[in-house]
Amino acid sequence: MTVANAAALPAKRAGVGHWMSSYRAMLRWQLTDMRLLLPMTVLVQLLSGVGLVIGFGLLIPEMTQRLALYLSTGAVVVSLVIVGVIMGPQLIAQQKASGSYDFMWSLPVPRSSASAAWVTLNASIAIPGMLGALVAAILRYDVAFDVTLMVVPAVGLTLLTGTLLGYALAHGIPKPDITQLISQLLIFVIFGFSPVSYPIENLPGWLATVNEYLPFYPMANVVRDSLTDGIATNVGRSYLVLSIWAVLASVISAAVLRRRK
Amino acid sequence: MIARPHTPVVRSGISYWVDSYRTMVRFELINLRTFLAVALVIQVMTGAGMAYLYGFYMGDMPVTAQLFIVTGIPALALVPIGLVMVPGSIMLHKIRDTYDFIWSLPVPRMTSAAATFTVFTGLALPGTLIALLVADVYYDVTLQWSWLFVPAVLLTSLMATSVGFAVAHAIPEPRYTNLLTNIVMFMAILFAPIVVPIAQFPEWWASVHRVLPFYHMAQVIRDSLSDGLVESAGASWAMLSVWTVVAWLLAGWVVGRRK
Repeated sequence: MTVANAAALPAKRAGVGHWMSSYRAMLRWQLTDMRLLLPMTVLVQLLSGVGLVIGFGLLIPEMTQRLALYLSTGAVVVSLVIVGVIMGPQLIAQQKASGSYDFMWSLPVPRSSASAAWVTLNASIAIPGMLGALVAAILRYDVAFDVTLMVVPAVGLTLLTGTLLGYALAHGIPKPDITQLISQLLIFVIFGFSPVSYPIENLPGWLATVNEYLPFYPMANVVRDSLTDGIATNVGRSYLVLSIWAVLASVISAAVLRRRK
Repeated sequence: MIARPHTPVVRSGISYWVDSYRTMVRFELINLRTFLAVALVIQVMTGAGMAYLYGFYMGDMPVTAQLFIVTGIPALALVPIGLVMVPGSIMLHKIRDTYDFIWSLPVPRMTSAAATFTVFTGLALPGTLIALLVADVYYDVTLQWSWLFVPAVLLTSLMATSVGFAVAHAIPEPRYTNLLTNIVMFMAILFAPIVVPIAQFPEWWASVHRVLPFYHMAQVIRDSLSDGLVESAGASWAMLSVWTVVAWLLAGWVVGRRK
């Protein structure tokens, strides 16, 4: 008899088991939600990563080993952050504009499980893109990478900071138009005005200084350090700056997640 | 005394056409007023921003390479207007369902097309000039201005606007137009011989660009701004004219079509 009574009660909405099953459900939800967009996302990844490696190769007349290393490690970083920082906020801005945003938050799952699912999905899209950029660089320029174990924390921290930054940007700014605008501007900042795919010495002094404090140059620097030998300098500082950004983005994301109307 | 019945205006003849054209230019200007401001900003950012950006990527460059970049910037600044903003404005009409309304206006349809060409060709000029001046200040090169600069920019702008217009009208689904304009931007920035010599490209890709308009846009403008970089721009003038005329024929066919 007691067994039947227990079965009549609703499932308990707490504990690790509930969180894990919510996480799985949200992962499936987001995958299904994005199924039509996924081919497009993969295309954007390929174009931005591989396209950057090959396209700038066409424009630069005498490609040196050093420049090729910069381009290809830069392409890796771009592949890692483009979905999290640019596509993610745009998707959420569209949800806000079309009115399905509040519905997502009303789902009976812990909000943190939804964000964990988003980070996972992002990683699973970004890492193939990163490998594609590496393979393109090896095939096109015959560059020799010197991969160390530091690749795990470097890629992990880059991916996490990028995704959380995009998350904070998308959820923290109430107006979807502004989110769209900022993410468009960020494309320019990441591709052009941050020394991600070229040496920081190429920038004018003041812009180089600004980039020391923005997250994108440190991302490139730590990833470059883990994949190559001798071209990344001052890596400790980059890890520090990047960690501060990661903490900042998590705090904002957490605050946004807890907020109720 | 019977009052003479009110006679409607005769809807034909040159003066009617000119009159409709003037009305449509005004209509386009008012219709696009906020869009035009954004367009100017985007154009200057693409043109001048890319001038800086190429420099960051390439580091120290010989003077010739710098001159190639500076003289390529006007063509690069014209791509977003003609091949992205023009299709974008037509796309917006389709998405907002105001497309059929425009066609229902009591003016010859060609005046509407001509008004679009005029407004966007004119709009492209200040942004192009600003982008060129910004690039010129940043790089340490000396330009050899010739009077050909004016017709070169006008033809390039007219060609881009006409192609953008014709293609946007010809493709029924606005989302495909959107995808296409993104690809065009990507092509122009990374994969086209606009800011570098065409000799740098693999042979097969260079021959593709001898047919596509990007290379020719850059050539006619470069020829008017420098000495010795362009051997002969005659073929490029011809190619741009061919693209313009083909775009007009396509536009004429699409615009004349009835549902």
